[in-house]
Amino acid sequence: MDGEIETYGKSKGIRPRTLQRWLRLSEPDRKALLDLACQLGIGENHLRDILEWTEEMNLRDGVSLWQVIRGATVEPIWTDPGLGRSEKIRRVKEELRRLRFPRLVRAEREIQKRVRSMGLKSEIQISVPPALEGGFLTVHLKSTSYEDLQRLVAELGPLVDRSEIREVFSLLNGEAI
Amino acid sequence: MKIEQVSGAGAGLTAGGYRPEEVIVEAGSEQGPIFENLRRSLADLAFTFVERADEFFLRLRGAEDPLGMGKRYLLLTRHQGDFIKKCPGSEGSVCCNYFVINFASNCPMECSYCYLQDYLAHNTALKIFSNVEDLLGEARSLFARQRGFFFRVGTGEITDSLALDPFIGFSEQIVPFFAEQPNALLELKTKSRCVDRLVALDPKDRVVASWSMNPQAVIDADEHGTASFEERIEAARRCQEAGYRLGFHFDPMVEYANWEEDYRGMVEKLFSVLDPRRMAWISLGVLRTTPNLKRIMRGRFPASRLISGEQVLAPDGKLRYFHPLRVSMYRKMLRWIRQGSPTVFVYLCMESKEVWEQVFGFSPSCEMEIGRRMTAGM
Repeated sequence: MDGEIETYGKSKGIRPRTLQRWLRLSEPDRKALLDLACQLGIGENHLRDILEWTEEMNLRDGVSLWQVIRGATVEPIWTDPGLGRSEKIRRVKEELRRLRFPRLVRAEREIQKRVRSMGLKSEIQISVPPALEGGFLTVHLKSTSYEDLQRLVAELGPLVDRSEIREVFSLLNGEAI
Repeated sequence: MKIEQVSGAGAGLTAGGYRPEEVIVEAGSEQGPIFENLRRSLADLAFTFVERADEFFLRLRGAEDPLGMGKRYLLLTRHQGDFIKKCPGSEGSVCCNYFVINFASNCPMECSYCYLQDYLAHNTALKIFSNVEDLLGEARSLFARQRGFFFRVGTGEITDSLALDPFIGFSEQIVPFFAEQPNALLELKTKSRCVDRLVALDPKDRVVASWSMNPQAVIDADEHGTASFEERIEAARRCQEAGYRLGFHFDPMVEYANWEEDYRGMVEKLFSVLDPRRMAWISLGVLRTTPNLKRIMRGRFPASRLISGEQVLAPDGKLRYFHPLRVSMYRKMLRWIRQGSPTVFVYLCMESKEVWEQVFGFSPSCEMEIGRRMTAGM
């Protein structure tokens, strides 16, 4: 199996340090990662993220890499014949990120849920920073005329009073953690 | 490289269990108070006298763990360049306008999260600088040139301020000096219990003895070779009794299953033993690493669980617990501290304006403001 891993690493330009990390894993972990890598054709950056996140989950939760990759929420993604390669990679990474950062992802999803429930017009966007770093909310107005802008600004007032906005701030400043 | 090797007999002191295997003395450092103290306190240890320590540096570089090996020897050498520097802080963070004096480089303790593992990765020798007279001269001249400015100066940036004091007695040089300065305050920051020399000196309210604090669970897992929580509290109590103001740094705060119970208990213990009116300040800061430090930690402390928290990369290149989580941690700590003392000065270390605002409801208007607040009335 190590020969297969080395061949895979060579074909994808995996750095020696990352390859060594892979080769140092237990046999079931090496095998599970090889299956996943071959199925998705993942390169250095994705491989490093997967190694890092699963290693940290192992330290925290005591779960092995193979248990994560073959787990109930991950394996069905990368073995789904109905999904394309890039979609599989995107969803696997998303799910691994959720497992690695459960409270962060929960907070992000709660915020998105509240923003969606406000049913904003496409000219008004409410967003938060990546990984919520900075803890602020950005309101983006898109306008093509002065009158249009005046109308959007007027609509903002009632929006600010909505409970969803307060809840988003609660999530951003840690009150809801 | 060897010029002369001598060894003597006698009982050496230990600093929280630490004891070097050998002292290497570079030419030009064979006299002065630090050398004399080393010879007295480590009388039974081999002293190797060298013209230059190049060969020693090569040995360190070739070691399997240069960081660990560097701690096994004390290198006494002269410092070239400035001793006093402005604390670099962290990009985008609110700064507290702090100055640092580097009387030594590297630390005998082994905290798994220590940033020196990365910062000193190519300079791993545990060095003590022998030219204390130059250090004091530089400080004297700086303070005299800017009499209108009040300096807060610390010695614990790239070493522990007191862990080596039983051997080198640097406190006997620096404390009396600062005690006479009208416009400067010294902070000695430590994780040790090495205050025997300190408590025999009169700080004249110009020296803050401060401790990095963590619950015993964190000390056991990640602060190897440091004093226990109880020992730190006892050392602080002795310093308070000897007339020192105290500082406490809950930094790095670590989040784990029982963190709230442990940190709350620690804060309650602190205020039950010590007088908050003699506390100069308390700082809060969550665990910070960098991608490179994480890599080093994985190699040197593979069992440490510190890197498994929900830490994300901030714009300054440091990994911290994600924003809402750490704001929540700071708020809880602040609440527990306020229960012990409504007035003790609390600040955040290396945090953004946004975090300050969400924790305290304000952020300092400029970098001078925190420094001014901290030294008000001194």
